[in-house]
Amino acid sequence: MCNNLYKPDLMEIIQVQRQTPDVKSVRVRFRDPARARAFSFRVGQFGIFSVFGAGESTFNICSSSNWKDYIEFCFRRTGRVTEALWRLERGDTIGFRGPYGNGYPVEAWEGKNLIFIGGGIAMPPIRCAVWYVLENREKYGNVTIVYGARKVADLTFASELDEWSRHARVRVIRTVDPGGETPDWKGEVGLIPHIVERSQISAANSVALVIGPPIMIKYTMPVLDRIGLRDEDIYTSLENRMKCGVGKCGRCNAGHVYVCTDGPVFTMQQLRSIPNDF
Amino acid sequence: MSAIIHESGLRTLIDGWLASGKLVAAPVEVSGRVLYQRLKSSGEAILESRERPANSIKQFLFPRHQALFRYRLNGKQVELVDSADDTREQIIVAARPCDAASLPVLDHIFNCDCKDAGFDEARQRTTVIALACNSHDEACFCTSVGLGPSSEAGADALLVDLGDSEFEVRVLTDKGRKLFEGRTEPGTREAPALEGPPRKFDAGAVRQFLANGFDNPLWGEESVGCLGCGVCTYTCPVCHCFDMVDEGNAAGGERVRNWDSCQFQMFTQHASGHNPRATQSQRQRQRIYHKFSIYPERFGALLCTGCGNCARNCPAGLGVLRLLEKIDSRVRQQHV
Repeated sequence: MCNNLYKPDLMEIIQVQRQTPDVKSVRVRFRDPARARAFSFRVGQFGIFSVFGAGESTFNICSSSNWKDYIEFCFRRTGRVTEALWRLERGDTIGFRGPYGNGYPVEAWEGKNLIFIGGGIAMPPIRCAVWYVLENREKYGNVTIVYGARKVADLTFASELDEWSRHARVRVIRTVDPGGETPDWKGEVGLIPHIVERSQISAANSVALVIGPPIMIKYTMPVLDRIGLRDEDIYTSLENRMKCGVGKCGRCNAGHVYVCTDGPVFTMQQLRSIPNDF
Repeated sequence: MSAIIHESGLRTLIDGWLASGKLVAAPVEVSGRVLYQRLKSSGEAILESRERPANSIKQFLFPRHQALFRYRLNGKQVELVDSADDTREQIIVAARPCDAASLPVLDHIFNCDCKDAGFDEARQRTTVIALACNSHDEACFCTSVGLGPSSEAGADALLVDLGDSEFEVRVLTDKGRKLFEGRTEPGTREAPALEGPPRKFDAGAVRQFLANGFDNPLWGEESVGCLGCGVCTYTCPVCHCFDMVDEGNAAGGERVRNWDSCQFQMFTQHASGHNPRATQSQRQRQRIYHKFSIYPERFGALLCTGCGNCARNCPAGLGVLRLLEKIDSRVRQQHV
């Protein structure tokens, strides 16, 4: 078959980092140098990664689009493909298709204050945007990052959170669920919606990117409404199950919207106009 | 003047195509039921439109199991190899108009913006000879979705049964002309006007209902009997959802595409366990929405050819027609 849509590029794993007891981040680069040179993506886009013999899985590209030598993704060990990924190490080969999806409207966000709210494994898709913004610092206003996990050990990219908090005009709020704290925990304790409410975040000239489990998003939305953010200024990234990534296999749609090609990034205003099928 | 071919002439043609290495498929009787299958000889082909085949012709362009590429594992290195294409010319004979019409519908999916090479290549080497339909049963509803017993959509030639083992040949495309050029005789017999099934619902009314019907209790009420077996989707000429998996061993294997079904619980289940369509009624609703709202909105046509296979093959006596009739009658009664 010529121009086989489903044939991936080969990528070499150049680094694996254990983020939490069941989450790893992986740094990969194209085996074909020409493909590496030609490749570009937008933060917020995703790739379909594969372990040959185990199959494919969809992950956000969690590195900044300014980084040219490699891309990164992050996964939780939770099924057939991610179990196989868990066993891979430096030098191994994986497959990659992409980039797919629309990505974040980072141009439209210029001049705005940015509020990033993430829960658990949702840090990677926020991380790419945070780095992108910090690398184009003069174009963006204040940055507030609220990141929560069930327990301290479940926080991904913990050292980068520290690094971001040292940047000017960046506020990092970390929280863990009640009972998830350790004796030396210096962050907040509480669920994301409560922490957002308590943190006196200004909605003035702001957009928010909220990613996490459906239940977290559901209870965070009324809080953002109360602090004065409009639905068209709140973005999220959907995670519907996908196979093809190109609008053909028929499973990722929510109503007439295909998450793979129309999304995965939507505003809350857009989501309110489609059926609750995600 | 029309072009006529005798049944024996058609069978001779089929045997000629087979002898020259072409793949030929047609309705065939298999263990008491009629199925589209590849022919070994023309004698197997059923060249009259009695019982509608229980499957569809999509399998000849979109096989239920298809290798996408091969991989070879060699330590840390992986080598990808294109799967060998079947390049043989393929002819589908006596396809029902409701099957031929599936091809332009599938084109929108597989041959829009980014082309699916496997489907596209199969489409190019396939010629469809449709047979106008002179029998319909209570499950048929082609006339309710804008088609009919002698629809030409998707066909390269249309045969119309004239009785006495003669067919009128209506050539519709160059591909069709190539097959029949010099093989027909001129004739003056009039093809009978064919009557399709009565119209059973108004597709416009269905769309109107769907515009605000997502949370209607009808979905729950009408899906109670559904077993979630997926036979409606597998035998549907236009259902095209697929899964991709790896099959192989420690040395290598293939990434393959298999037919999948929106009626299965795992179809949409996230790794987290969250499932947007966790119940059978949500999955039935998705199927109707896809066919009569989502696809029409994207491509301006219905994702249904009215063949009735979903009803005929359903072990629980469901299928889209029953739901569409219910929706239609609700719209009529203004009980939306």
